[in-house]
Amino acid sequence: MDFEQSPDRVVGTAAVSSGGRPKKAPVPVKIIVAGGFGVGKTTTVGAISEISPLTTEAEMTSASVGIDNPGQATMKTTTTIAMDFGVLTIDQTLKLYIFGTPGQSRFAFMWDDLIKGALGALVVVDTNRIDDCYPAVDYFERAGLPFVVGVNTFNGQMSYSLDEVRWALAIREDVPVLSFDARFRGSVRDALLVVLDQALDKAIRQKS
Amino acid sequence: MTYPDPDDPAHPARPSVRPFLQSGPLPAGGYRPTHTDEQPPATEQTTALRPFVITSGRTDGADPDIGMETQVTASPGAGPVRLSPEMRAIVGLCFEPVSVAEISARLRLHLGVTRILVGDLRAAGQLDVHVLNNETPDPETIMRVIRGLRAIT
Repeated sequence: MDFEQSPDRVVGTAAVSSGGRPKKAPVPVKIIVAGGFGVGKTTTVGAISEISPLTTEAEMTSASVGIDNPGQATMKTTTTIAMDFGVLTIDQTLKLYIFGTPGQSRFAFMWDDLIKGALGALVVVDTNRIDDCYPAVDYFERAGLPFVVGVNTFNGQMSYSLDEVRWALAIREDVPVLSFDARFRGSVRDALLVVLDQALDKAIRQKS
Repeated sequence: MTYPDPDDPAHPARPSVRPFLQSGPLPAGGYRPTHTDEQPPATEQTTALRPFVITSGRTDGADPDIGMETQVTASPGAGPVRLSPEMRAIVGLCFEPVSVAEISARLRLHLGVTRILVGDLRAAGQLDVHVLNNETPDPETIMRVIRGLRAIT
């Protein structure tokens, strides 16, 4: 048939396949969600992510001194941990990744890799176990990464006021302490917006 | 395949064991080096390759440019070459931009292994790795993220 051999048609298909396939890669940005055991990091990631959180395994190595055997030499320990993460497409050219990471100090060294290029961090706190988040707070303070302390209120209940949490953590005045509910998207969004606010402040300060 | 609970403090850290030896299916009692000319019994079926086998034993040397969120796409001009099943699977995922972390999660490949393989595929011209030229995020980008986040309900 006539139209099958039409050069226009052939060119047309070729244009679609070559124009449609290689999509321009979006710019990735990331926010870290850190905290102790079971404080709601994965819930936080899942609440804001447009996909159900994915898990990746990463190996961790850290030099640790045997606490139980103080006489022994420094030993290198390795372990495999799982990290949950989620994605939020801001637009065609910008994607936000949210990485939930275990907050134990024995994993702190791997944060160097993780925070490279990160906008900031949300440290999730359970008021019943405030000290679980100390390593994360210590680390981000030293690394100079903008961070926000978010008290996960679970059922809208907090054992301590935000001021008490701030006092217990002994953090600088300019580090925001807020409460949020990890189960609700709007609540997580607002907490992340405070992180981004801090990130913006830092970026503007660095630029000027 | 089940993943260890990231929050599980009891997850044992085995000292002096190379990282990639840890995530594979290990016999009870941990890794025991076997004599080289000892053949494994023919009846013994391995269900999965140990991760370090896939990287030819390399546990290090991942390109520092390749981060967890780094975007990867299949190279449009890549010629047909023979690839390992893992590498083929990676290229197959990259028909549209995808992050290294997503590749690792979707293929259930260790993150360290994924980074090494992505680096290899990049060197082989099969993948385009979109490395950002400015590491620290600029205010305009952050503003866009803020506007985007505000827009969600």
